[in-house]
Amino acid sequence: MPSAQKPMRYGHTEGHTDVCFDDTGSCIVTCGSDGDVRIWENLDDDDPKSINVGEKAYSCALKNGRLITAVSNNTVQIHTFPEGAPDGILTRFTMNANHVVFNSDGTKIAAGSSDFMVKVVEVTDSSKQKTFRGHDAPVLSLSFDPRDVYLASASCDGTVRVWKIADQTCVTNWLLLQKCNDVINAKSICRLGWQPGSGKLLAIPVDKVVKLYRRETWDHRFDLSDTSIAQPLNVVAWSPCGQYLVAGSVDGSIVVWKVETQESIERTKHEKNYSICGLAWHPKYGQIAYTDTEGNLGLLEDIGDGKKPNDKVASTAAKDYNDLFDGDDDDYLNGDAIEPPSSPTTGANEDHGDDDDLMPTASHPRRAMLDDDDNSLDIGMIKANCNLLEKDDDDDDQTGGFPALPASSTQQHFYDGPLPTPRQKPFQPGSTPAHLMHRFMVWNSVGIIRCYNDEQDNAIDIEFHDTSVHHATHLPNSLNHTMADLSTEAILLACESTEELASKLHCIHFSSWDTNKEWTVDMPKDEDIEAICLGQGWAACATSALLVRLFTAGGVQKEIFSLPGPVVSMAGHGEQLMVIYHRGTGFDGDQCLGVQLMELGKKKKQVLHGDPLSLTKKSYLTWVGFSAEGTPCYVDSEGIVRMLNRRLGNTWIPVCNTREHCKGKSDHYWVVGIHENPQQLRCIPCKGARFPPTLPRPAVAILPFTLPYCQVTTEKGQMEEQYWRSIVFHNHVDYLSKNGYEVDENATSQSVKEQQELLMKLFALSCKLEREFRCVELADLMTQNVVNLAIKYASRSRRLNLAQRLSEMAVEKASELATALEEEEEEEEDFRNHLNAGYSNSGTERSRLPVRNVQQDEEMEDAEETDECEEAEETPEVHKQRPNPFSKGVTSAEVTTAKPAVIASSSQGRVNPFKVSSNKKDPLVPSASVLDNMSKYSKKTSSSSRAVNKQNPPVIKPLIPKPKSKQASAASFFQTRTPNSSEKAVEERQEKTVEERQEKAGRESPEVKVTAQDNTENKRPKTGFQMWLEENRASILTDNPGLNEAEVIKEGMSRFRVLSSEERMAWTEKAKGRAVNDLTEDKKRKRPTAAEDEAKKNQEQKSEDSNLSKKTKTSGQSTNVRLSAFAFKQS
Amino acid sequence: MEPAEAEFLAEKELVTIVPSFSMDRVHLIGGDLGPFNPGLPVEVPVWLAVNLKQRQKCRLVPPAWMDVEKLEEIRDQERKEDTFTPMPSPYYMELTKLLLNYASDNIPKADEIRTLVKDTWDTRMAKLRLSADSFVRQQEAHAKLDNLTLMEINTIGTFLTQALDHMYKLRTNLQPAESSQSQDF
Repeated sequence: MPSAQKPMRYGHTEGHTDVCFDDTGSCIVTCGSDGDVRIWENLDDDDPKSINVGEKAYSCALKNGRLITAVSNNTVQIHTFPEGAPDGILTRFTMNANHVVFNSDGTKIAAGSSDFMVKVVEVTDSSKQKTFRGHDAPVLSLSFDPRDVYLASASCDGTVRVWKIADQTCVTNWLLLQKCNDVINAKSICRLGWQPGSGKLLAIPVDKVVKLYRRETWDHRFDLSDTSIAQPLNVVAWSPCGQYLVAGSVDGSIVVWKVETQESIERTKHEKNYSICGLAWHPKYGQIAYTDTEGNLGLLEDIGDGKKPNDKVASTAAKDYNDLFDGDDDDYLNGDAIEPPSSPTTGANEDHGDDDDLMPTASHPRRAMLDDDDNSLDIGMIKANCNLLEKDDDDDDQTGGFPALPASSTQQHFYDGPLPTPRQKPFQPGSTPAHLMHRFMVWNSVGIIRCYNDEQDNAIDIEFHDTSVHHATHLPNSLNHTMADLSTEAILLACESTEELASKLHCIHFSSWDTNKEWTVDMPKDEDIEAICLGQGWAACATSALLVRLFTAGGVQKEIFSLPGPVVSMAGHGEQLMVIYHRGTGFDGDQCLGVQLMELGKKKKQVLHGDPLSLTKKSYLTWVGFSAEGTPCYVDSEGIVRMLNRRLGNTWIPVCNTREHCKGKSDHYWVVGIHENPQQLRCIPCKGARFPPTLPRPAVAILPFTLPYCQVTTEKGQMEEQYWRSIVFHNHVDYLSKNGYEVDENATSQSVKEQQELLMKLFALSCKLEREFRCVELADLMTQNVVNLAIKYASRSRRLNLAQRLSEMAVEKASELATALEEEEEEEEDFRNHLNAGYSNSGTERSRLPVRNVQQDEEMEDAEETDECEEAEETPEVHKQRPNPFSKGVTSAEVTTAKPAVIASSSQGRVNPFKVSSNKKDPLVPSASVLDNMSKYSKKTSSSSRAVNKQNPPVIKPLIPKPKSKQASAASFFQTRTPNSSEKAVEERQEKTVEERQEKAGRESPEVKVTAQDNTENKRPKTGFQMWLEENRASILTDNPGLNEAEVIKEGMSRFRVLSSEERMAWTEKAKGRAVNDLTEDKKRKRPTAAEDEAKKNQEQKSEDSNLSKKTKTSGQSTNVRLSAFAFKQS
Repeated sequence: MEPAEAEFLAEKELVTIVPSFSMDRVHLIGGDLGPFNPGLPVEVPVWLAVNLKQRQKCRLVPPAWMDVEKLEEIRDQERKEDTFTPMPSPYYMELTKLLLNYASDNIPKADEIRTLVKDTWDTRMAKLRLSADSFVRQQEAHAKLDNLTLMEINTIGTFLTQALDHMYKLRTNLQPAESSQSQDF
């Protein structure tokens, strides 16, 4: 049977403790050797009420609002409960009392003392005392007969005696225990117990078993034992219904038996094996509180059949849950209280909850008849009685027992299905609960707003992370603002309505250039602001009337729209507004939230139309916001950070589990911001809490993101995770460029590079694992350049089949791209017209908006195109690479190539003589040419180890005459640098003819020409030096073993220079002669490695006394080198 | 070495600050610093931290050891042991002085920390003097002192070596003096 054991918690200082529940079970009362009695609302209560009763408390009992304690000054005292005021001394002993118990109706107490005496005292009149003498050693424990006839006591003299209370005579005694001289030496404190109700059985823990004796006859009925008990039992306690018995041992095991069947239904072990010295059943539910000799308090839940979740703590958990959102419960602080609530109907359940076996029914008329054999029937007994076991009192009282309740008569309809979850209250992202005296109203990437609300001061402190935004501000909080948001332009505050004042929105627009920086707006009557947020140039508030009201930063009221449900939270960023609201009622601890994401820019549109928000099971929302780059994110109470994946149809992807990084179970991370580039989750580690205190000032920590991919321990999984993470975290680039924001081109190219590198690594890994199909799949994700590289890699590692498939795929891709381009071209035409029409508007745009000019529009186009054909760039089909005005010169060739080439002229059939030029800048020219060569000469080289391409793909192009290509490239460079800030330029460019360009190219600077030349030289298949080097490589290597490729070339270079000019000429001649049939012969030779190419390039560059700046090629080259070097390293 | 020089060396130690400005990576001879993101902790050398702090451009995050409890533990340990105990930082004294002078508002319980570090320092100096004393008294040829920080060595180094020099001279002069003494008489 499942029972939930909650972790133990500190209750008292080390030493003997005792525990009991109050009459209703609403709290746990413990006493300990620190002399305090503590009243716990529940186990998670961090602030129990303490009543000091003396130096040491040995035992406590609670009934009818009276708390009886046995303390070290040898007295038994009364305190009122729950106030804890002393209410007199009941009795005194010459030694301390070891155990005090109430009788069933709470009129009498019995106390057993170390001075061998047992006293029974009337609670209301302490003069009415009865003393029981007979024990020869300190009395260990006592138990009242529920019918108030007998009293059982156990003593260190080894006996257990049963006394008749009326005449204080010993009815019987058993020598059961080991003798000892003092309580502290006793093996067991032998807390015995009468069965509640009829009092038919007396349970006595004797060594490792519980002995049960029958009333009146006092004969031994049976033993309850369990194999898990290895040490003597210390305590027994009956369930209030009398069906179950629990015993705790000195080594910390706790066993629950069903007395009727004598089977143990529950076995648990104290987490630290301390001795259990106090056990108490909840008066209503299957819950056992226990304490140990080290002062810890623990709780077992769902004892019994466990079918009803409606135990006490569950209901308190539900309460906590409500309180959590109310924010007025300190339990929230300890963070553990966020148990999923059982349901708000628990309360209702209690009202007619007699269906629970473990509950003693309220007084039931039947009972009076059943108690036939006893004369001392009293009210108290009836009250506490249970009717379950009383039908046949003589023999088999254990058999009759089970719920003999007329259930249908007393029980109303009981709903047993899933229970609705209380809705979570609205909150401001990045705020701590409003009931705190010192709290964060908001902590975001702009700054911190703190609120101090104590006796002397009610104020708001605003602090900016970046002091250049605004200086720190201190505001009096006379209106009692509870909500706040902060942006780089304004501070937004809001308060709820009071009796006199309406709910107010208060904005401090500090970036305003006029003198009036503040404005306030009153909400209509009975409308309370529940959530607020700020965007760029606008503010929004959601109210209790299910409205979202938009304002400009200056306070002009703008759109209003209705929400489908009560708001949970809002967040704004730039032009985007995200609203999260309750779509409906969640069940079984889940929230049912919906999200709307809208763009409030010029083109207003809704991106997410109230889609369901995915939350972890039984969690609620804790943070909503945007990444610094503007991607919506949210965090739930289980610490899962999710981000909008715009690439996959606006779905949410979990990007981080903050709980994985927590050290302790109750530690949390409080998220304050998310950055996509660099990938940072900024949050504050909170030890043992969900949110940080204001003092000491918490420090921000940075967590990495991890997508929950499978098998991230393996290399493959790791790289897959990295690849997809890189993709996900660069979605914002597309989005931003689409919306006309500036995008850091370098970062983009970096990310593309990173992704392609990862793909290449994965490709190599799959190759190694002989997974060629997987290789092809991977290649499908690659860009054209990298596919070429992959083909090379495959052919090098002698996977001809793979290489062939890949090249087929490359061809396919190229043709796809070509058709895509055609379509785009047409689109572009339309788009331009459209833009021209709308262009006049942009002049009136606010300066706060990103400046939109044609350039950005173009960029937008680019981005759109990038979307569609990201991988399919740079095919030979491309007529001419469209110059990208944003690629910052030619610093990053990768960027230029990453953009799809746009055909400047719309004529399709025209042959483009500039094709080469566009390829020139391609960092992967050699590989591209490999493909060309391969396909062209496939028939001849089919026997070689090279990749074979039987198809003659459309990508093949003839070798282009050198001078022309030079000019073309120059032209393209010129284009790149042509300032075309106006649309006119765009159109002009479209009309440009090839001749014009060439003409312009004539005016091109020598620098560019040189670059072009250099590039063409790169393409030249062989130089004299190279041929020489190939011949002499072996000798160089034998002379200098251990040289790497570059060093070999260097060495070779120096040797080549030493040669006589004739010799060199001869080599050059040879090279020239070879060049004619180079392409054929080349196939049979080992191709120079990329490193050689590189070195050669460098060499050539060196030899040219040009003013060529390295800048023009470094970036592209480095990419090339890195990727290719990688690829060759693998082979 | 002057204390100022030791302090200069200590300024190379890294401390964490929370900048209140935004700046890209700074490339310096001694290595790159930054990037500085407002609100995000970053490690910088003490010299920069102090400079930024003076210009109110950052908030200082005290080093982990600059905490009353930890320092109390260190002090107690230092008092308990006869030898020198390892210090949390090789520049604990200099750092304490620098950071407490310039950023005491960012360090909780600054005064207590100052006292505790001073206590530890005093204990160590007492030990140092004591060991120097016994070293001289017993006329040892060498002694080994572990876990001394640069600043501590410099407080006694020059003086002790000079003193030993002098003593040596005196001693060597004493021998002939004794013999001459008999001559005098």
